[in-house]
Amino acid sequence: MIATCDTAQAGVVSRSFRDPAGTVLRSAGRILRAVEPGSVAELEAFLATQAAHSATEAGRLVTSVRLSSQQAAGLDLGSDAIFEHERIPFPSYAHEWPPEMLAAAGTLTLDLFRNALQEGFGLKDATPYNVLFRGPRPVFVDVLSFERRQPRDATWRAYAQFVRTFLLPLAAHRHFGLSPADTFAGKRDGLEPGDLYQWAGFWKRLSPPLLSLVTLPKWMGSKTSAATYHPKPAACPEQAQFVLDHLLRSCEKQLKSVAPRPNEESVWSGYLDHKSLYSAAQLETKERFVREALEWARPRTVLDVGANEGRFSFVTAQRGASVVAIDSDPAVVGTIWRQAHAQSLDVLPLVVDLTRPTPAIGWRNQECDSFLQRASGHFDMVLMLAVLHHMLVTERVPLEELLSLAAELTRDYLLIEFVAPADPMFQRIVRGREALHGDLTFERFEATAAAHFELVKSLKIEGLHRCLYLFRRRRTLA
Amino acid sequence: MKRTTRGAFEVWALAALCLIALLLALPSKAFGYVDPGSGSFIYQAAYAAFIGGIFYLRKFLTRIFKRNK
Repeated sequence: MIATCDTAQAGVVSRSFRDPAGTVLRSAGRILRAVEPGSVAELEAFLATQAAHSATEAGRLVTSVRLSSQQAAGLDLGSDAIFEHERIPFPSYAHEWPPEMLAAAGTLTLDLFRNALQEGFGLKDATPYNVLFRGPRPVFVDVLSFERRQPRDATWRAYAQFVRTFLLPLAAHRHFGLSPADTFAGKRDGLEPGDLYQWAGFWKRLSPPLLSLVTLPKWMGSKTSAATYHPKPAACPEQAQFVLDHLLRSCEKQLKSVAPRPNEESVWSGYLDHKSLYSAAQLETKERFVREALEWARPRTVLDVGANEGRFSFVTAQRGASVVAIDSDPAVVGTIWRQAHAQSLDVLPLVVDLTRPTPAIGWRNQECDSFLQRASGHFDMVLMLAVLHHMLVTERVPLEELLSLAAELTRDYLLIEFVAPADPMFQRIVRGREALHGDLTFERFEATAAAHFELVKSLKIEGLHRCLYLFRRRRTLA
Repeated sequence: MKRTTRGAFEVWALAALCLIALLLALPSKAFGYVDPGSGSFIYQAAYAAFIGGIFYLRKFLTRIFKRNK
């Protein structure tokens, strides 16, 4: 479980506290894990397994290196057993993922558990917060989640957590349209069977997969005692292994049955293809400007704000940049993930509305950093294409504020599309409030941007009331 | 044929003893720190009991068929 809590030592931030076996610390940009003495041998044994080696080589398990006693002593973290992990470029959380990414994280969790099981290890927790994404690929980051199993133990104690945090949020999306991002924004540990039971009608309760995920647990859960939680071990290790194999297979089947369907649509789906004002020629002009800007700026890290289905995120990633693509619509973010994953493009799509960015949440509001904490100053370039007018008109964020935030997010360049009030799309969303935006001209936009940026180049799109700008952030702010 | 019948009885007896051992075994300690849930935990226990039974049934049938070959 990722967390951020200030420790006594200045500059060191503790990243977890629930698992008594150890804690993750962030110190001077390094990700370190202090492991309790009683858990060191077990962790080292797990890291020595073939399952851990292959997963690490495939990039599915975070790399872990134990620091020498001298290195650990030099860090002064009060522990001899310090492991250093690779840093995942941009941490993201389940409350920012589309359902596709939650399903991918669940599949990874089950895969790693299955492989570890063959070598005598089990998984003691099963939450999406054990997983981060490197581009579109999930990476399991909590190596302490693996523990040696009692050979006759036929119970997976994290099963209910897997159900709560993977299967039920995905089922709630599939059957009731609730986005997993919304679920996790309010509930760290996912959904309870009782939540879905009250939403489901009679037939849905009695049909798979809700029958075994929701209805039977709901009915069975009313009578428990302390003894319930101390189940008897199996008669022999083979029986325990057989039972766990079947349980895992059942989880895999259920995960497939609740995973989002491909080609789910929303009001923002296919926007550039058939809902926007752009003709094919105008879109080509815009894309050429973006390509030239990328050629000029050569950014390594890019934030695409209002990415829609990711057309320009993909153009950017194909030029070698690492892209974080954000949009408030989970359906289009899911579409980006599918394409980025299928084509192995370095695009991390997240459900984030920049006018209402992910807050810092969890214990003391410090368990998961806010989006702005992670994003500010992280990117060489920020793209804001055909999104500014939505933020100005629909969300009523002042232009000065928007450009000021853009200047905080980018270290260098801003590629932005200005949409004037005369634009039909602007007219469509202004809905009678034209007077509020009467002073929004190209000149005012350029003058406001000049407080933070200097103009590199611009292009007025012929036939549209729109202009593309490539700005460079001023070194000394005006 | 006679031998096969006696063998089947032995396998049944073994399976019954294993099941009794399973039921009488001491409860295990729970080491996990995550909330094991209530209904989902019981569902898993019931599932494990059912699949555990299938394990012995499968073992029994495998031995029967092997002896009859």
